[in-house]
Amino acid sequence: MAESKDIDRNGVQIGVYVCHCGTNIAGTVDVKALTEYAATLPGVTMARNYKYVCSTPGQELIKRDIHELGLNRIVVAACSPCLHEKTFRNVVAEAGLNPYYFQMVNIREHDSWVHTDKRAATEKGKDLIRAAVRRVRLHKPLERKRVSINPAVLIVGGGIAGIHAALTMANAGKHVYLVERDATIGGHMAMFDKTFPTLDCAACILTPKMTAVKSHHNITLWTLSEVTQVDGYVGNYQVTIKHKPRYVIEDACVGCMECIDACVYKQAKVPDEFNMYLGKRKPIYIPFPQAVPQVVVIDRESCIEFKSGKCKKTCVEVCADRKAIDFKQQETTETIEVGTIILATGFFTFDAKRVPYYGYGIYPNVYTGLEVERLINAAGPTNGEVILRDGRKPQRVAIVHCVGSRDENTNRYCSRVCCMYSLKLAHLIKEKTEAEVFNFYIDMRTPGKGFEEFYNRVADEGTHFVRGRVADIYPNPGDGGRLLVCAEDTLMSTVRKIPVDMVVLSTGLEPQADAQDVRRRFHITCSTEGFFLERHPKLAPVNTFTDGVFLAGCCQGPKDIPDTVAQAGAAAAEALALIDIGYIEQEPNTAHVLEEVCSGCKTCIPLCPYQAISFAENKKKAEINEVLCKGCGTCVASCPSGSVQQNLFEDEQIFAEIEGLLAYA
Amino acid sequence: MGTASHNIATQSKTLPCEMTLENLTEFPEGRRVLTCIQCGTCAGTCPYGELMQYPPRRIIGMLRAGELEKVFTSDSLLECVACYACTAKCPRGIDLTGVLLPLIKEQVLLHLPVMPAELQKALENKLRYGNPMGESPRKRAAWVKTAGVPVRILSEDPRPAEVLWYVECYTSYHPRGQDNARATARLLHALGIDFAILGNEEKCAGECGRLSWERGLYNTLMEYNMLVFAKYQFKMIVTSCPHAYDAFRYRYPIVGFNYRISPVPPFFAQYLPQLKSILKRNLNYTVTYHDSCCLGRHNNLYEEPRALLRAIPGVKLVEMVHNRVNTICCGGGGGGMWLDTYYKTKGIERLSERRVKEAIATGADVLAVACPYEVSRFEDALKVLGHEKKMIVRDITELLAEAIEV
Repeated sequence: MAESKDIDRNGVQIGVYVCHCGTNIAGTVDVKALTEYAATLPGVTMARNYKYVCSTPGQELIKRDIHELGLNRIVVAACSPCLHEKTFRNVVAEAGLNPYYFQMVNIREHDSWVHTDKRAATEKGKDLIRAAVRRVRLHKPLERKRVSINPAVLIVGGGIAGIHAALTMANAGKHVYLVERDATIGGHMAMFDKTFPTLDCAACILTPKMTAVKSHHNITLWTLSEVTQVDGYVGNYQVTIKHKPRYVIEDACVGCMECIDACVYKQAKVPDEFNMYLGKRKPIYIPFPQAVPQVVVIDRESCIEFKSGKCKKTCVEVCADRKAIDFKQQETTETIEVGTIILATGFFTFDAKRVPYYGYGIYPNVYTGLEVERLINAAGPTNGEVILRDGRKPQRVAIVHCVGSRDENTNRYCSRVCCMYSLKLAHLIKEKTEAEVFNFYIDMRTPGKGFEEFYNRVADEGTHFVRGRVADIYPNPGDGGRLLVCAEDTLMSTVRKIPVDMVVLSTGLEPQADAQDVRRRFHITCSTEGFFLERHPKLAPVNTFTDGVFLAGCCQGPKDIPDTVAQAGAAAAEALALIDIGYIEQEPNTAHVLEEVCSGCKTCIPLCPYQAISFAENKKKAEINEVLCKGCGTCVASCPSGSVQQNLFEDEQIFAEIEGLLAYA
Repeated sequence: MGTASHNIATQSKTLPCEMTLENLTEFPEGRRVLTCIQCGTCAGTCPYGELMQYPPRRIIGMLRAGELEKVFTSDSLLECVACYACTAKCPRGIDLTGVLLPLIKEQVLLHLPVMPAELQKALENKLRYGNPMGESPRKRAAWVKTAGVPVRILSEDPRPAEVLWYVECYTSYHPRGQDNARATARLLHALGIDFAILGNEEKCAGECGRLSWERGLYNTLMEYNMLVFAKYQFKMIVTSCPHAYDAFRYRYPIVGFNYRISPVPPFFAQYLPQLKSILKRNLNYTVTYHDSCCLGRHNNLYEEPRALLRAIPGVKLVEMVHNRVNTICCGGGGGGMWLDTYYKTKGIERLSERRVKEAIATGADVLAVACPYEVSRFEDALKVLGHEKKMIVRDITELLAEAIEV
């Protein structure tokens, strides 16, 4: 401990604590020299260094000094305020001071971790501490405000992530609005046949949860709906939802499907989206047998009534008294109020045409993994038979890993699920066709519970594994439409050209095509590859940088079903934690307008990223909604007359800090 | 234009530090080899991958293990035709063709007990005569007399020109190349373009010298050509040779080359509306277009040549199985042009023959090309395979010129 003789005229008594952080700081910065230096600064009553200031004894030390020495301002020079600012503010508050009589100095991330010259790093530490000491004496007592939280939650996306989060929240007694843009919930999982590594039937485990969503009294399910606007703030969001017309009244339809049989199209002629266009459906249809809601939908692109207005409308005839079909249905919008939002908008599968040398879209026997899922599925276009477009059963099949993954030319990241679903498809294809299956892989990635064992099982079944990325796929001349799959078998150092009847491209996972629009609508951010960005990759994996908006499933990054469900549960728990405390405490570092100085020029209004500023017509002045303000400072910096001030960042505080930083000792 | 001569004066004597195998990882593009995941795409796509003892993947493995000596003493890299197939598909974006393989090839050459005679002669000829065939430099512009249109030669008439047409060796000397030269001259003339050539002052741009291991020869040609360019005034260079285009675009800038540069097909593609008005003659051909490696895979110029072909009345365009990024090299790149005899003694299939088999399978009458190496290579391959009656080989310029002559 180093003591200072200086007594501040205003009675300010500052204590400075320099943390060693083990050797993280003390290894590069001379903490003793910093302490001695800090004690010489005007206003500083006492300075100490300590091995871990954030530890319980460290915290107790501060409290004791406040009581015994009458300290009334605290500066801690340690790590990033992101980590421990809250800790020390609480310490200061527990000792009876206003928590904002505190300033943190980052001498780890900003100093010891980024420098190697011990002398220079120590000098930099002195500059940083001097700046904080000058600023902290000007701090004012501030109070956190509390706002109440609306217990209703909005969940966007009705795949397995959205379904699981919805049920968790609803079971906890919260009201859930589940918004799905397609005609049914279920997402990609509903398209799969079996799930790895246990080979559970996807429908068997998913459809009970889908029906539970529909029947749950706490869930409002809206299909064919999209969120168009989000206003408000954590705890009190106003969300505008657009309902697209189904042309069938949901409450009137009983799901008897007589209308589908009665449709004037005797044969199904429209390529079926749910079956990856491998099958056909009618203009009035249900996406798949277990769709939720069990309600038909009319596709106005192919329906004769919409195209010509002259259809016999046999569907309406057969529906009779139920009167469920309504060709005049219009798009509607409504606004709901929720406190929290969970985004579970899922993923997009990589367009295999972007790797032109794999021949997708050119050679009919080149399929994507998702297409083959539909072929294998008993409810699929071939009733579960794995047959080629010409009806032949394949005798040799190549499964190509890493299509649109791990490639500088497409996506740099690993899509995480492809190795496992490729193994699953190898097993299922072999089971259904007894074909010889070749898996072409770069690295086999099976890091999950039971995954490596599944790999072992598939190898034991006789699937061939070729370690090499496929370089070319083209018709084998004079071999009746067989394709040659060409790759170097890198373990044998030989180039192999293997003739096959069918190629399955294990396409990777990508962000949804409209992820950027959704990001803007919900005021969150995306990582470089376009997936929604979590607040912290390890410690806040389901939070976003916007309070009250959480992430679940593949919209945050590629992941398998177990991880998706775990994340959905975590997102629900985070939302519940917010709701159950009943209120939200807001940081007081908000901006406010000095009315007498404001000229009413409105410069600040469009710049505010949180729509917190409005124009008071009666006073002709700008007004800042404290609850919406996040304290970013944009308005403060932009105000031409200097009439916007921000708590904790007042001009005199910032100037004092800058002067401190630049005043060489 | 003026600045180029200034750059030559200051830069031609001291070349900037060149990448070598020793300092490879100090350059960002060289450092990429450290990220190789040994996936084998390079070997799988290499037209000679099945034959190579050391395909690029193994070379990188040996490099990282410090065992490159074994690669230097194997002649397997003589099979590399610098076709950019490995580079175009590499999932780690490693520039094998442009960066790593030429450095390895240089060492392979130094370790060869006997240099393949044909290649040695071609490289010597480039140095002595400025062309690989050993033709007289004084006859480089001899074809001009038969062009049928005026072709201005800058040394005779040094007035500024809009376009400096860099004709290159095969187009200047080879009988079938000269057909291309005459066709190009007629097209330039018909479009009213103010163009001129260097005539006998022109020498090979040297690209295949670099990609086939002779760095010193390459630098000599580069310095010479830069001095010649500096003598004249022109707005841009248009070249008949995609290899020369590569040299000018990627290598010459280090000695101050900053002229606008275009290969012939994209240059003419800019004039499509005017061309369409003069392309009157119905050719009634089914044409398949062979993407040259330099033009296509290396510079993404896939659509311009096709757009020109589609503009010709009566041309039906069909594609070979391997097209665009997946094209198969004619076998002439990276020195392959002068290794046919060597390959034959080793019993290796010529790529030109592999390629014309695909062309024949399309049922087309015409194999259209855009690189001067290809006409002679494919015509020879068609003869060897007995297909010369089924298919003719034409440069795109020849087809365009044929269609404007009514």
